[in-house]
Amino acid sequence: MTTSPTGAPAPILQLDRISRRRAGRAAVQQLSLSLRPGQVLGLLGVNGAGKSTTLSMIAGALRPDSGSIRLDGIDLREQPALTRTLLGWLPERAPLWSELTVAEHLTAHARLRGLNGAAQRTACTAVIDRLDLQPLTRRLAGVLSQGQRQRLGLACALVHRPALLVLDEPANALDPVQAAALRGLIREQAAAGTAVILSTHLLAEVTAVCDRVAILHDGCLRHDAAVQADDHPALERTFFQIAMHGDATARAA
Amino acid sequence: MSALADTFAVARLEWRRMVVRPLSWMLAALTLAWLAWNFTLLLGGFLAGQVQRAALPDGPGFTDLVAVPLLGQLAQLSFLVVPLLGMSAIAGERRNGTLPLLFAAGLPASRIVPGKYLALLGWLMLWLALTLAMPLALAHATDLDWGKLASATLGLALMLAALAALGVACSAFAPHPAIAAAAALIIALALWSVNVGAQMAGISGGVLNWLAMSTHEQPMLRGLVSTADLAWFALLIAVALALAARRLDNERERG
Repeated sequence: MTTSPTGAPAPILQLDRISRRRAGRAAVQQLSLSLRPGQVLGLLGVNGAGKSTTLSMIAGALRPDSGSIRLDGIDLREQPALTRTLLGWLPERAPLWSELTVAEHLTAHARLRGLNGAAQRTACTAVIDRLDLQPLTRRLAGVLSQGQRQRLGLACALVHRPALLVLDEPANALDPVQAAALRGLIREQAAAGTAVILSTHLLAEVTAVCDRVAILHDGCLRHDAAVQADDHPALERTFFQIAMHGDATARAA
Repeated sequence: MSALADTFAVARLEWRRMVVRPLSWMLAALTLAWLAWNFTLLLGGFLAGQVQRAALPDGPGFTDLVAVPLLGQLAQLSFLVVPLLGMSAIAGERRNGTLPLLFAAGLPASRIVPGKYLALLGWLMLWLALTLAMPLALAHATDLDWGKLASATLGLALMLAALAALGVACSAFAPHPAIAAAAALIIALALWSVNVGAQMAGISGGVLNWLAMSTHEQPMLRGLVSTADLAWFALLIAVALALAARRLDNERERG
């Protein structure tokens, strides 16, 4: 991690006017954002607002048509392999290899992220313990419940201790106890210096764990501000104004 | 991490997925049982005609009558087995939604594709080795033509490698594993028999004959290894894998 001349940690992630077209329409347009270590950014927007496309681009699974993505100050186009060590990604619906066990998933992800031997075993054990996956380690991913799949996806994203954690609707299919545990985990990661981007439809989730919130609408960033813990009604108002009327009305409000 | 380590990480993951998939075991069991049955038939025929052949000065031996025909049967089976095994390599990942996970691990297509290919190739080489073990088990009791057997084995290994590369390429292009398998089967059969018309017309040279896989495979099954045939297989493998890698790169670009 680098430090800025002022002593504050330099952004781990910088998006500079990234755009991306998908299925013939502009999914993301001129989006600029930055995130510092330890910050938790909530990404809100209605379905089709461009959240998942944005996260896929940050994760390196999709290339932007224009603009740049910098991880720890380095352009992803120049060094796409940066995502391997710096970034952990939980895509929507946690895609898994149904024929592999939970333990095999973690080993495979650790290996793909460059961990081998003792480091790999230590990392897998740590994440299994942290996410209470011990009873499931020998179970095939194909037979896991949706909540268990989500926890395994999260464990895979965390196994190599990334500096930036990208979570696409991680609370989907989690019961209230698991959702509370997820919030605790996000706070814990942030306290350890990991930057987190959390895409969600749950406004309460944002006010509970996020420092900042960004709202996307039609692929454009309409709102980027700090979040207060008791800010839920104001956030809800802003979100609905943007969702229903777009940027101008939201500003007027 | 080096390119080689990346490729092996993908290969290990793919290998693991293959060995736990029932389809791989079912295909291995059925084809090896079929080959073992045919081996006993070929061996029976060989033993039955032994007395007559003893009178011939340069008569065909165990290698010509049992080992090479057995490998020929493996070659026939491979047209069906390789597309079925290779169909999920990339199309299955795409359908499963796990392909972006490999992209997000910072792996370029030029490492994902060879990794998938190596795993498939490993399985096929094991299949070939188990088939080869049948005639080799009788090596102490027969007079094997080691040169011819080595040439036929090399030819078959190259054919399996080429079909595997085609299978991976079709899997990279097809949206669904079943479509990938069908495409790989059709392309492989077309590539094998593209010169049938030319041969029926009595033309033994030309582009079509050069293009046909049979032109390069059959001499090796007869014990003739030429650099041109080796180069043809190497070229086919390289082109198929390069196309697959390019397709994956485009996919990352296009989404």
